[in-house]
Amino acid sequence: MDTTRSLSPRARWAVPAVVAGAVAAAFAVPATMGAVASDELPAVTADELVERLAVAEKVPVSGTVVYTARLGLPDVTVSEIQGAGPLDLLGGSSTVRVWSDGEDSSRAALLGEVSEYSVVRDGPEAWTYSSADDEAVHYVVDPADLERYEALAQEGAEPPVDGDVPTPSEAAGLALAYARTTTDVTTTEPVEVAGRAAYQLEMRPQTDGTLVDRVLVAVDAETSVPLRTQVWSVQDAESPAIEVGFTDVSFDAPDLSVFDFSAPAGADVREVEVPLPEPGTLEQPSSDALGKDAGVAVSGTGWETVVELSDVDVDEILGATSEGRLPEGSTGSSGADDLFEELTESEDGELPGLPELDTQALYEQLTTEVDGGRLLTSALLSVLVTDDGRVLAGAVPPATLEELAG
Amino acid sequence: MSLVDSPPAGPPVSSARATARLLGSELRLVFGRVRNIVLLVGLAAVPLLIGTVLFVTQDTPVAGQGPPFLDRVTGNGVFLVFAALVSCLPFLLPLCVSIVSGDAVAGEASAGTLRYLLVVPVPRTRLLLVKAVAALAYAAAAVTAIAGVGLVAGAAFFGVGDVVLLSGDTIPLAEGMLRTLGVVGYVVASLTGLVAVGLFLSTLTEVPVAAMAATVVVAIVSGVLDALPQLSAIHPALLTHHWLDFGEFLRLEVDASTLFAGLAVQAAWVAVFGALAWSRFTTADVSS
Repeated sequence: MDTTRSLSPRARWAVPAVVAGAVAAAFAVPATMGAVASDELPAVTADELVERLAVAEKVPVSGTVVYTARLGLPDVTVSEIQGAGPLDLLGGSSTVRVWSDGEDSSRAALLGEVSEYSVVRDGPEAWTYSSADDEAVHYVVDPADLERYEALAQEGAEPPVDGDVPTPSEAAGLALAYARTTTDVTTTEPVEVAGRAAYQLEMRPQTDGTLVDRVLVAVDAETSVPLRTQVWSVQDAESPAIEVGFTDVSFDAPDLSVFDFSAPAGADVREVEVPLPEPGTLEQPSSDALGKDAGVAVSGTGWETVVELSDVDVDEILGATSEGRLPEGSTGSSGADDLFEELTESEDGELPGLPELDTQALYEQLTTEVDGGRLLTSALLSVLVTDDGRVLAGAVPPATLEELAG
Repeated sequence: MSLVDSPPAGPPVSSARATARLLGSELRLVFGRVRNIVLLVGLAAVPLLIGTVLFVTQDTPVAGQGPPFLDRVTGNGVFLVFAALVSCLPFLLPLCVSIVSGDAVAGEASAGTLRYLLVVPVPRTRLLLVKAVAALAYAAAAVTAIAGVGLVAGAAFFGVGDVVLLSGDTIPLAEGMLRTLGVVGYVVASLTGLVAVGLFLSTLTEVPVAAMAATVVVAIVSGVLDALPQLSAIHPALLTHHWLDFGEFLRLEVDASTLFAGLAVQAAWVAVFGALAWSRFTTADVSS
């Protein structure tokens, strides 16, 4: 029992050092190990890979996704106070757990510290649920459109949800839609994502007139499921501006009860009927919400596209929020809508504990004064609000917008 | 073989008995001290206080505002357990654990009883382990007191029912109770690292208050560092970073790897500071 006593005091003090070293090694080794033989994959060309993505059979996927945004926006996240919500996606890292049956049912849960924001889709209906304010929103396809939905469902259409949570597949789909225009598509060396060997597509805009430097999509070598999407900005060569990828993935079919959601007892439930978009129309922010006479014009093509809204009454929108809710869809982005909504939400007009948010101040914090208007810059998107009521937005340098605004 | 077998009722048994007796007296010492009992009662009063406030204000506009879980309590008393734990985790629980673990060795040294304790035929290593077990038992008692009183008060004030998870899914009360047990177990395990830190600091000084205060400071500094986004690289290794991960028990599918990550960090802190405490305690000259 006294072997320890034979150790000299100096030897005894070596023990904690050894323990500390062993602990450090125990944490460091698993991170560097587990290199999958991704370099043994047979080579494919970019065209083959795009083709594989297009024809890939949809398979059930579940796992953990980490989403990181480095957009260079001022920190406006309020998840510490408000719990997890789509606002978290504006900056920093968020963890999302996803389940998909490979068909028309899926579930994504954005994890907060002791909160969660879920988006559950099951065929023609969808739910969002926020644990922080115990509110469920039930989206159903407009009954008039239900028949058309059934037909579209074969092609993978799903009801649109405000405040959606991104997954690598959706991000990749968006990037590929762009890839058809004015983009150089190549493949990089195979990579390893979530412990799986993956091919990687690289899409580079041919133009210099955009903030997007390149988009990388890692595609699982075996199942052709997109595992990771990165969007790199020209402003940051060190790390991607947006990255969404699996850290842990499984292709086993998830338990079907995961998709079976109903509002918990006691929760506030809002019912929303969503009409299906008419085939062939672009989704546009409804012009009533932006003030009378608002018009939409698009200039530039491909990566340089700039959307210009004219006759927008900014003061009216900012004023509207201090009175209550922002009209749905009025910012043209569900994330920004939720921002305003979350920050201005109150029950019975009272908001004890939370200071009243000054939307005007927030607007001034997010934007900077420029000649003839106010400018919001981020790593991937610029928005210019001119004094004469026009809003210009695009993935282009701010100077382009100012030039267009004249 | 014969060496092991030949003295059947010899030193090993008496040594084990001595250790058991030592543990018994250490537990009596920790749980018999008025200060520690007052702290336990104070912690147990937290859910009672929260429950009373919520009960009185439940029909007013301020109902439903506040930290996580608070708005769920009036619908289901089980959530009083979680609301109380969330309220106590940042400061009150670490404070109580620091007081007991920081006092463990330094308290005896300052009272002049440590050298008598070392006369007991139990090696110092085992003495240190006994101290650690007693401090951990106190931490477990503190968490259990909060949870137990929370559950009883919640049931009395608001009744209990099926538990709505963070994901919005509803599980039966029985499963909810199991998950509550998991939460209690995880919170206790989360405090082991702090116990080890307190024990080490306690071996460094003969002034118990210094060890207690230093231990509280470690917990609070860890919390402050955890709040600085610039330090996100070191966050996963911080003592307090995973404390609120007990929320994992309230998700749709409890992800073992998330829980394991938190427990592994605690194990690392226990290993390093346990080893430091051992080195210090077995080499120190004890004069008082």
